[in-house]
Amino acid sequence: MAGQTDMELIKNGVRLDGRKPDELREVKIVAGVLDNADGSCYLEWGNNKVYAGVFGPMECHPRHKQKADRAIVQARYTMAPFSVNDRKRPGLDRRSSEISYIASQAFEKVVMVEEFPKASIRVDMQVVEAHAGTRCAAITAASVALADAGIPMRDMIPACASGKVNDIVVLDLNKEEDNYGQADLPLAIIPSTGEVVLLQLDGHLTPEQFEEAMDLATSGCMDLYDKMRAALENRYGGKK
Amino acid sequence: MSEESSSKSTRKLVLPGDLMETKSKPGKGIFRKDGRVHASVVGHSSDKSGYINVNGIKGRYNPKTGDKIIAICAETGPSIWRMDIGAAFNSTLHHSESGWKVPFGDTARFLSIGDAVWAEIFMVDAAGTHQITLKKDDCRKLYSGTIVKIDPTNVPRVIGKQGSMITTIREKTQTRIQIGQNGCIWIDGKGDDISLAQKAIEMINEEATSKGLTKKIEKLLEK
Repeated sequence: MAGQTDMELIKNGVRLDGRKPDELREVKIVAGVLDNADGSCYLEWGNNKVYAGVFGPMECHPRHKQKADRAIVQARYTMAPFSVNDRKRPGLDRRSSEISYIASQAFEKVVMVEEFPKASIRVDMQVVEAHAGTRCAAITAASVALADAGIPMRDMIPACASGKVNDIVVLDLNKEEDNYGQADLPLAIIPSTGEVVLLQLDGHLTPEQFEEAMDLATSGCMDLYDKMRAALENRYGGKK
Repeated sequence: MSEESSSKSTRKLVLPGDLMETKSKPGKGIFRKDGRVHASVVGHSSDKSGYINVNGIKGRYNPKTGDKIIAICAETGPSIWRMDIGAAFNSTLHHSESGWKVPFGDTARFLSIGDAVWAEIFMVDAAGTHQITLKKDDCRKLYSGTIVKIDPTNVPRVIGKQGSMITTIREKTQTRIQIGQNGCIWIDGKGDDISLAQKAIEMINEEATSKGLTKKIEKLLEK
């Protein structure tokens, strides 16, 4: 966002990577990849690569964070030092603690936390390759991992971003569009009800463009949801 | 409901949030919303005797009063042991429920970290904490043998219909086997026999959903 470039990000309705404005990048989801986690998922979304692992429900530590009537979801989003061009300093920084927090909030909406008082459900999201849209990729992967862990939940939450490039509203920004575009709007929804559990906006959109971006991101989420379901059906042999 | 229709009950894979088309009452693995029932876990649905259930494929052990389990000591206190039973929380074994005469502060002499017991859950409260006891039936400390851990959801599969599967394994391998509802299985016998039984149980755990499992296990044990 806000960067300057001579690149033509969108030309005759075709984007740099050859996609149309309303097309997602290629998505590959595999459930159950980590042996030591209760549930796990590996997700490739364009050039993004994310691992998600779910541990628990287990006793909540530190204990002052326990809730007497429900469980808490402790999500942790981290980017590997080698995931970006310039080496990233490992560990939590301002950006990743923010994403961890909003992801926890989103998951607490769908996980049946009231079934596990005083417990904690740990969700670890590790980005091993970043190419714009990693928070959406991480939340999507973590949703599949939560379902894979057998944790009772109301629905899975797909997350997908839309944005604005050269005054055109586009779905699923890639790295160049994210860096030099005009707006970025990550969205996570509960597909069965249409409730929004995560919505952020960076950049400028007119009210009409905002509506359009919301619709586009919602349709992206629904496409993604089918892929998430397919990943779980694949793992548990639902297609027999 | 006739016998035939109940055995033919639609067994299909459901995912969290899936709407269940049914008139039956909601059982486990189900939540209700706007008067309709939805699945809450990944599992197989079964619609039997007026109840709709979703049997989760994975997940932690959910303790129930009266369950026989194998617990492993995780922590010792002055008058209690904290036992790992594979649930969300460790279970408490109070010295008064152990059957031993334990002097205050001397719990580790009877049961130290890593020791296993065959125990029964005698109390589960609303907050999710639970206590186990050694003062029932054949509950005791386990001294020899091996413990195999499997998914608690696969325990019925290891037991088989009327215990058919486990009887086969016991007879063919000449081992003593006790199956905890929490997915811990204790096997005792000769070294080779134990490893064969362990192999069979691990195979059941991995292929729990496949058909013709009994035949596969029999073939494995024949060798």
